[in-house]
Amino acid sequence: MGAVTDDEVIRKRLLIDGDGAGDDRRINLLLKSFTKWCNSPGSPEEGFTQYQRMLGTLAQCEFSMGKTLMVYDMNLREMENYEKIYSNIEQNITSAHDKIAECKKEIQRAKRIRKNRQEYDALAKIIQQHPDRHETLKQLEALDKELQHLSHIKENVDAKLELRKKQFHVLLTTIQELQQTLENDEKSDNDDQSQESPAQNGE
Amino acid sequence: MGPVELLHMSVFSQSFSPCGRFLAAGNNYGEIALFSLAAALSPDATTANQKPVLTFTAHEGPVFSLLSTDSVLLSAGNGEVSAWNWTELIKKNVKPLWTKRPNYKSSLEIPEINSMAINPRDDSLAIGAGDNNVHILDLEHGAFKVTLRGHTDYVHCVCVREREAELLSGSEDGAVRMWDCRTGQSVHCIEVHKYESCARPQHGKWISCLTTDSDWMLCGGGPSLSLWHLRSLSPTSVFPLSGCQRRAAFHQDMILAVGDGAFVSHCLLGGEVKGQIPCTPPSLNTLQLNTKSSEHRVLTVGGGSSKIDVFTNLSYRAFSLSF
Repeated sequence: MGAVTDDEVIRKRLLIDGDGAGDDRRINLLLKSFTKWCNSPGSPEEGFTQYQRMLGTLAQCEFSMGKTLMVYDMNLREMENYEKIYSNIEQNITSAHDKIAECKKEIQRAKRIRKNRQEYDALAKIIQQHPDRHETLKQLEALDKELQHLSHIKENVDAKLELRKKQFHVLLTTIQELQQTLENDEKSDNDDQSQESPAQNGE
Repeated sequence: MGPVELLHMSVFSQSFSPCGRFLAAGNNYGEIALFSLAAALSPDATTANQKPVLTFTAHEGPVFSLLSTDSVLLSAGNGEVSAWNWTELIKKNVKPLWTKRPNYKSSLEIPEINSMAINPRDDSLAIGAGDNNVHILDLEHGAFKVTLRGHTDYVHCVCVREREAELLSGSEDGAVRMWDCRTGQSVHCIEVHKYESCARPQHGKWISCLTTDSDWMLCGGGPSLSLWHLRSLSPTSVFPLSGCQRRAAFHQDMILAVGDGAFVSHCLLGGEVKGQIPCTPPSLNTLQLNTKSSEHRVLTVGGGSSKIDVFTNLSYRAFSLSF
């Protein structure tokens, strides 16, 4: 406020209020009419009317001064109001900045989550294409059982084969031995007979 | 650069600087152009800011691959790899730090280098070359360590699977091979064209697009772009994109893919195409996201034109840089 020099104030007032259009002129006129009234030799009625007129002018001056004071008050209060609004808006701006930063972080997080979900979906699609693990396990178990059953049967058949082989072997050896014994007996019978006949012939 | 040359220019590769403020792009004439993103993205940018701050001829052949480390820009062209210091490039000093050539068996023709990838674990550079092999260069010692042999046709793309220390390579012969970085042996071989859901015999069996984020892999080219689960080596989703895709990237919860067609395709992991954003080049060869900088987070795409489209918001093209 001290930076505004008197020159500028005077210049501004001259610009706005040229020759005192209104207030200044009124005060000057009042002073002039007051001195004229004090020095006038006129009649008391004239003096009275002049006195009334001066009171009127005085009232007008007081009125306009009161108005100016009120306008000044109003300006001060407007300034305060604007300062308040200004600081409020600044606060809002900073909080909006903060919210924007938060939202940006949120968006990054959401994008990451979305990427993870999509990767999961892609993998799940492939996994679905492969058959279920339980089913495959069951199939494996069934095959195992069949395999065992079949190997069991094979063992049994093998054992039976062995047994039959042995039995036939025994049978065949016995038959061969019997054959041998019979041949031996026949041969010894023939020998006996041929020995007896020369003995009979010799007698 | 006359107007006819500009008309026939294709951008094959891009790379952002480690500070995130510059973009290097390589074209089919062997030139690399440096664009200042800070200037182009500033609120008072003019058309002059969309031109390169520096253009120089790096190789005699097309620059098919560009890669940035913390301080160095690696460029591959004409069968050799050159390294340029970023701070020197920003100061417009175009002298390469070194140039190396993998030892190719055949001396008749020079195989081109199609793709490079850095393995941060052991600071090595994997080079996918046209001689059907992947050469591994040790960046610390500057010597070629191993050559991974196994592909029967030239290698289009390589990428690194960080968590398991594996390298993936996709080739013209339709196979995606997984190599163990330490032993140098091929661990798995996936022939994508043999899977009915992915195969597109009308386009061929070549794999030109490969990217991974350790658990999942995207591959495409002749066969449709498909998402694979690496643990089970099975394709989980196939994307119904009509052209052949040349580059794809995972970005947050989406997949960005570029290839035939003047658009960038946004797809969801489930296999649906969310949208296709149009752009200026008639077909796209390269896609890069500037993840290193926080204030210049842009997506840039380049392809069969001298213009590189810049997307500040993924939903629409903001402006184009031109060579």
